[in-house]
Amino acid sequence: MPMETTRVGTSLKTASEQAAATIAAMPAYPKSIRCPICQRQCLTYAELADHYAAEHPDSVAPVAVTLNVNGKACALIFEPHLTLKHVLQFHLGLTGAKEMCDRGACGSCTVIMDGKPTLSCNILAAECEGKVIQTVEGIAVIPKWKPLIDAYCKWDAMQCGYCTPGFLVAAKVLLDRNPHPTEQEINEALSGNICICGTQPRHSQAILEAVLVMAEGSDG
Amino acid sequence: MPDYTGANGLRENFRVVGKPNIPGLTSYAMATGVAKFGADFVVPDMLFAKMLRSPYAHARVLSIDASDALAIPGVVDVVLWDDPIFKEIGQNPIGGKRPTYLMNEAHYEGVEVGAVVVAESEHLCEEGLRALKVEWEQLPFIIDLKQGLDPEFPKIRGPEWDESEGDYMPGLTTVDGLTILNLHYPDDPRKVGNVSWTNKIDGDMDAGWAAADFILEYDVNLHAVVSLLPNPPASVAWWFDSMYNGPEKNLHIEGAVQRRGAIATMYGLPDENVVQEGLFQGGKYCDWGLRMSQEITPLLSRRFDRPVRCCNTREETFDMCVNERLLHLKLGVTKDGLITAVEDNSIADHGAPASSEMGTIYDRDYDSYYTLKCENISQKYTIVDSNRGFMHTCGQFVPYNWDALTVGLAILGEKLGKDPVELAKLNLHGPDSQKDTRPVPSFEACLEEGKKLMDWEWHPAGTKRLADGRLHGTAFRYQMCPRHAMLSYFCKLEYRDGVVHFPTQGPIAGWFGTECFTMIIAEELGLEFDDISVDYDYRAKHTDEAGGSDGVTGQGWIVKECANLLKARILESAAKEAQKTTTGFGPFVMPKMPSPLMGYAAEDLEMMDGKVFVKSDPSKFVPFAQATSETITADYGGGSPKSAWTTGFGRVLDTMNTSWCEVAVDDETGEIEILKYGIVADPGKVIRRTSLESQIDQAVFFSMGCQLLEEYVLDPETGVRLNANMIDYRKPTTLDVPIVGKEILELRSGNAAYGASGISHSLANSHLLITAIYNATGIWIDPPATPDRVLKALGKC
Repeated sequence: MPMETTRVGTSLKTASEQAAATIAAMPAYPKSIRCPICQRQCLTYAELADHYAAEHPDSVAPVAVTLNVNGKACALIFEPHLTLKHVLQFHLGLTGAKEMCDRGACGSCTVIMDGKPTLSCNILAAECEGKVIQTVEGIAVIPKWKPLIDAYCKWDAMQCGYCTPGFLVAAKVLLDRNPHPTEQEINEALSGNICICGTQPRHSQAILEAVLVMAEGSDG
Repeated sequence: MPDYTGANGLRENFRVVGKPNIPGLTSYAMATGVAKFGADFVVPDMLFAKMLRSPYAHARVLSIDASDALAIPGVVDVVLWDDPIFKEIGQNPIGGKRPTYLMNEAHYEGVEVGAVVVAESEHLCEEGLRALKVEWEQLPFIIDLKQGLDPEFPKIRGPEWDESEGDYMPGLTTVDGLTILNLHYPDDPRKVGNVSWTNKIDGDMDAGWAAADFILEYDVNLHAVVSLLPNPPASVAWWFDSMYNGPEKNLHIEGAVQRRGAIATMYGLPDENVVQEGLFQGGKYCDWGLRMSQEITPLLSRRFDRPVRCCNTREETFDMCVNERLLHLKLGVTKDGLITAVEDNSIADHGAPASSEMGTIYDRDYDSYYTLKCENISQKYTIVDSNRGFMHTCGQFVPYNWDALTVGLAILGEKLGKDPVELAKLNLHGPDSQKDTRPVPSFEACLEEGKKLMDWEWHPAGTKRLADGRLHGTAFRYQMCPRHAMLSYFCKLEYRDGVVHFPTQGPIAGWFGTECFTMIIAEELGLEFDDISVDYDYRAKHTDEAGGSDGVTGQGWIVKECANLLKARILESAAKEAQKTTTGFGPFVMPKMPSPLMGYAAEDLEMMDGKVFVKSDPSKFVPFAQATSETITADYGGGSPKSAWTTGFGRVLDTMNTSWCEVAVDDETGEIEILKYGIVADPGKVIRRTSLESQIDQAVFFSMGCQLLEEYVLDPETGVRLNANMIDYRKPTTLDVPIVGKEILELRSGNAAYGASGISHSLANSHLLITAIYNATGIWIDPPATPDRVLKALGKC
């Protein structure tokens, strides 16, 4: 039985290395094609479709979809009712989009799709073909966003850390749109994200500091 | 102020401890999404499990026809409650007693009952659940506590659940191998129907009433609040062979909270046979309860010989963190405002079977009443079994009745036309005991700073309007910093190849305990935070026992002692090694450069700034990393010095905190605006400033949420939850929470490392804002003070 190894990103370097490794490990095409109902192994998507027609005629067959996630095209086969959140986790191994509320109320599963914040638990993965999807792992590997992540860590804009990636993605979307937001604009932009640990005041503090550092960096 | 015994006494100069903005050791992992929580683990060939949930508040499953479910392709099995498999799983040692693991009786809507569906995907599990033909017998239920008081109401739970049936056994009792905390007194009244009682009477109540000039009576209603653990409780488990332990004797589980010990006990395994590498536990807020989704996967994995994942949804994780409690208070008071007698008559929700007793009888020994000079205190708790929901070990607002007194001081202030702050000063006993009449230094300091922070100016209720026409209200409360640091802790440190290693198994649940300990180690060894290698390893003995910042500071004492033990051994070894004139052994012996420490004994040496040097001549030094070539270990266990918890609960007032607020009430719209929220807290000594401040933010988040937004709604007709989701149950967002003014004092009079005590839950409150609204309007509004409730109370809708 394989053992999961939990390595801890105790610095941005190790965390971004792990994020990069996770992105690198995303399959460009399905490593194996299995029937999600009976686990039968198929060699091709066509064989799976035939198998469905013969063995599971009452079920909707999986779809073949190519998703563009964190700059990588991933050809996937999955059931059409699966959400993007589910596919990111179960098919691509990305754990940054978290499921908290189960109904699009908390923002923990936020990803960026075609530049807009999108709740990945509320959208079918099959609908995302042709879209440019960026997750928090994709943000973590871009040096430009180091000051934002640094500031989040420096100001404890997290306690248990479960909702944090969702906040960070929302912050990145805000800064893409408005590189110099006011505190009120930050609070408005993040009001769709819920933190149960009560870190709300920490986010604006971190983002305002990151804005300054990023501005200094761009000046230099 | 006490100077505790210990290796370093009362340190005055701090280089690392107290520093702000040192990133958490795992913060980057959390921020970037690489931190894996229980729900994040996906392993190959995994099966999924979902439990049947009760649609009724109280019901029995009479039969289940699973044939349709089993006919669904991909549904592997349906395991029913009477399957012998459930005899293979033991009791959770940190959970409540239960007669059998899975039952056919449901004691609240949404609880797991009757069956588990195992399938190739979560969706197939859900399809299987929908296909079950369940024959239910609906049973009488109690949602309204006052209805539960009726002795004629049918009993809603059987004797198998009642530790309070028969003779009361106070203290720790062992039942079926489980340690049960039964805090009823032997002479408490016997249980009748669904109601039990416990009475605690101190002093002479008759004398207390006789000394009073008048009686003040009021009600404080504490409503139910749910915890909403951020991460869905989930686990995935599988068994694996071991060349040492044999086939299928080793269990790997991810997602079971608070280390692996509880799961090991449930499955009859030694701890070392259980692997749990994941560190990230999610938010806990004192709720360490394992959900069934975190316990049952090993059992199912063993039966189906594949890894099994079980994950709750949000709706399935809507457990109480505060139960409903209806308090009626009666105070005897002199005309000057001195309280002479306190009588608390509470009706408390006992919740569903095996719920935590916090909120019912746990907190009666250290509540706010014991901060008074008045020693005539009567606490009579009427405890009602209910089907309102389940409360795991929890304590968002501990003690649950704390605000009952500070509300009373505000009401008394209105009656006497006196500032409640002055009434608090008048009534508060001294630092050591209720008989101590001296002022409490920590409290006095908090008041002084609080008044400055807030520009404090109390006014009688309903007498001040702001320029924009809104009513203005103020409120104040105090609390001692509570102490959970009564546990025995352990720390092990190792100096290896010039680096200090601190092995710990976590878990990580948001309180940055490991970071605090690392700061303490660095402080004691004259190193920097980053010099210490924190080695996360699930096999390590050390764990962040914690229990809030008070636990961290208590455990910090042990870490500090261990660091000093290590320091002494390093200096001893350095001194010994410095005397050597050669290096190597046997034929490889070579002359060695003379050490700058040569000729000095261990007691002549000190360490600071990454160096080991001669005290009398600091120019003679070696780098810390080259102090000795030996590997040196130190381990230390035990408790921190005497704590308030163990020596007198609320009667010891060494570290205090105060909360202050100002609100504006719009009497046309019912809207409440928090104008100012101030915290002046004395945690004794700040260990990690950023997380202390963050914990204050958390306390205010909890407090304002429960007073202005959060309401747990049960349908009185059916007992069904009406808002068990995050849209209808409102938690505060970035647009709701106030900016909190913070003043942190360090009087160093706590019992833990450096005189720290932590603040833990003590700043979370249930009625500060409600009291301010009362001061603004002169009308009492039970929480949550939503605009519609405010307008209704004002007679405007």
